Amino acid sequence: MPGDRLPGYQRAAGFDEAILESLDVRSHYAAVFDELSRLGAPELASRERLRDAIFRRLGITFAVYGDASGAERTWPMDLVPRILHAGEWAEIERGLAQRTRALNLFLEDLYVGERAILRDGIVPAWLVFSSEGFVREAVGLPAPHGARCVVAGIDLVRDFDGTFRVLEDNLRTPSGISYVLQNRAALTRVLPRLSARCRIRPVHQYGSSLLTALHSLAPHASHDGPRVVVLTPGIWNSAYFEHAFLAQQMGAELCEGRDLVVEDQVVYMRTTRGLERVDVIYRRVDDAFVDPALFRQDSVLGVPGLISALRAGNVSIANSLGCGVADDKAVYPYVPAMIRFYLGEEPILPNVETYLLWEPDQREHALSRLDQLVVKPVAASGGYGIVMGPQATADQLEICRKEIEQNPRGFIAQELVQLSSHPTFIDGKLEARHIDLRPFVLTGARTEVFPGGLTRVALRRGSFVVNSSQGGGSKDTWVLEESA
Amino acid sequence: MLARHAEDLFWAGRYLERAEDTARMLDVTYHGLLEGGSSDTESAWRLLLEALHLAHPYYAKHPSVSSRAVAEYLVADPNQPSSIISAIARARENARNVREHLSTELWEALNSCFLELRARDLEAELAAQPHELYREIRTRCQTIAGAGGETMPRSDPWRFFRLGRLIERAEMTCRMLRVRAPRRALRSGFHDFLLVLNSVSALEAYTRVHGADIDPARVIAFLLLSPDFPRSVLFCVRATDELLTQLDTGAPSARPRRTLGRIRAELEYQDADELRAFGEKGVLDRAQSGIWEVAELVEETFFASGPQPQRHIFGPAA
Repeated sequence: MPGDRLPGYQRAAGFDEAILESLDVRSHYAAVFDELSRLGAPELASRERLRDAIFRRLGITFAVYGDASGAERTWPMDLVPRILHAGEWAEIERGLAQRTRALNLFLEDLYVGERAILRDGIVPAWLVFSSEGFVREAVGLPAPHGARCVVAGIDLVRDFDGTFRVLEDNLRTPSGISYVLQNRAALTRVLPRLSARCRIRPVHQYGSSLLTALHSLAPHASHDGPRVVVLTPGIWNSAYFEHAFLAQQMGAELCEGRDLVVEDQVVYMRTTRGLERVDVIYRRVDDAFVDPALFRQDSVLGVPGLISALRAGNVSIANSLGCGVADDKAVYPYVPAMIRFYLGEEPILPNVETYLLWEPDQREHALSRLDQLVVKPVAASGGYGIVMGPQATADQLEICRKEIEQNPRGFIAQELVQLSSHPTFIDGKLEARHIDLRPFVLTGARTEVFPGGLTRVALRRGSFVVNSSQGGGSKDTWVLEESA
Repeated sequence: MLARHAEDLFWAGRYLERAEDTARMLDVTYHGLLEGGSSDTESAWRLLLEALHLAHPYYAKHPSVSSRAVAEYLVADPNQPSSIISAIARARENARNVREHLSTELWEALNSCFLELRARDLEAELAAQPHELYREIRTRCQTIAGAGGETMPRSDPWRFFRLGRLIERAEMTCRMLRVRAPRRALRSGFHDFLLVLNSVSALEAYTRVHGADIDPARVIAFLLLSPDFPRSVLFCVRATDELLTQLDTGAPSARPRRTLGRIRAELEYQDADELRAFGEKGVLDRAQSGIWEVAELVEETFFASGPQPQRHIFGPAA
């Protein structure tokens, strides 16, 4: 109920998801804080132990890089859920669907279309063809329904005034959805009364939604339904848990490259009863490793001949090859223009202000303010190689400046976004910590935005680094049903 | 199911059984020596190494035989692919590859067995309380198998896991009998065959059928031909046959079943008195080589379409 207050809570600078400047609780969080304060700190500490026990038993742990002992930590999910009310979500949902449609139209235009967007000079052709994510072998490859990016993970942040902005698109093999489902399952068990008091949109249907999208890609009608498999690089991959989880959720076989074989441009899997035909491959293997016959000869992760089967239209693959060109950070600044070009609509979700470093004016401006900006290498993902201006030393900034001058195509510079913050349990007290959001968008015969997504939390005070390998945590993310 | 997954389950079963059987054999050999009456220390341990086809590799590494050295070699040597610690590690590795096909309880039992054994100072325990360690390994292996038996549906993953255990067990029983059989005329025969029965927990079952008369030829016949005792060769062969029938939806398992049928028929129609009169060597040899053949045919029939990494050790060449 409005009017409730959080005593002793210190808001961070910027937008707080749950708490107003007056320290009043935002109304859609009232029931949750009411329940949490009813339980009290000692009880919540014991619920945290229960949460850890659940994750440990399920084996949901991750290795901490730089920890010499090789110890595994249990998955850090904060007990305070992140809540999006129906109105907020409706806007995000429309914005994500719009963006994903435009990105798929862009990919379709590049790989099987007339490249109208390049012809009309909306996106510079040289930028596209110099992208590491542009895969020449994918030109002409069919994609049913134009669904090239079947699973997209689009990272959103919320700036000073509460506006959601797109920080980056992840269109290749985005991960994290298994944690969304596990967080929900765990929180429901640890704090059952919390979720019982709100009407939350469910997430457990993800496996079935993904399977529906993948089925819609099947290249031909088959007698007993299309056969879908999950292709993983194998047990040593850091996301293997997720690959196994999704295979299990969909009832699909979890294959490695060596389990699949191509004969006469048809893909088969090797079973105890001989070879069985495969129709759709949900692959979690990078482009460069998919088909060693064409790409990396040294790869043992891929399936020799897969490209020929794709070309013949005998099998579908999700995500399609070459999606990386659309999540190249140098292409990202053009996504709003793509939306206008392909859909004739104004973008619903704005980008973060970005400087194109290959444009002399913008480069000069960015270099003069390097200590205030964030510089990112264009081809990397997962937070690698990022220089945060305000935190960087003079030496680091100097190195960064030289790298930009040598290879302006290789980087972009962005205004630093003051991420929104959220009350989070730290040593038994509620403290403000910065968060982001990775929602997932599925595209098959139609586009479906999955409610919520993965909220990541920077567990160190004042930090903007939310990656779990660097001390980040997560939150169960609720989207509330429309109130009656 | 995927051929690679079936193969991993099959080998998880084999390695688990190998660990258990090795612990059993070590335990009775050790106790046989303590209780006395048996042959000298060296030949007892050599016999065990021969039964496990490990005499040559052992002597390549160690100049002589001692209780300590053999026990460490068979239990704790991580570089010895058949040691108990290696077998458990391989069973776990295979299981980890097919985690989504196993029940959580089976996986937890196997995983914690591996993690705990790895964390302990096995050499110190072998020096202080070997029997305790052997007993614990045996119990843990039984817990793993039992957890699987009580929680896994009787579908193909379960069948391949069980198939691995049965084939390994039948083969181990044959190996032990082959090594012991030539010694039955020795003065220590009685003692030797008491150990044989003990090593497969068969003394009670044998006594119930034959009384306390530990006659070497009867022991051999019992462990080969008993239709009821779950570690006898015939019992394992029959159970294997049933599994292959269930895995069969047409032609695939015809070849392993044909070979198995031959062994099964010979054992089922074998007369125990005849066996005593004419010697068991021929029957035993045919059973063991038949089991090897079945194992190879299982690989060819069910796993051949799968990828074939060289990662398993097995068979007559070892």
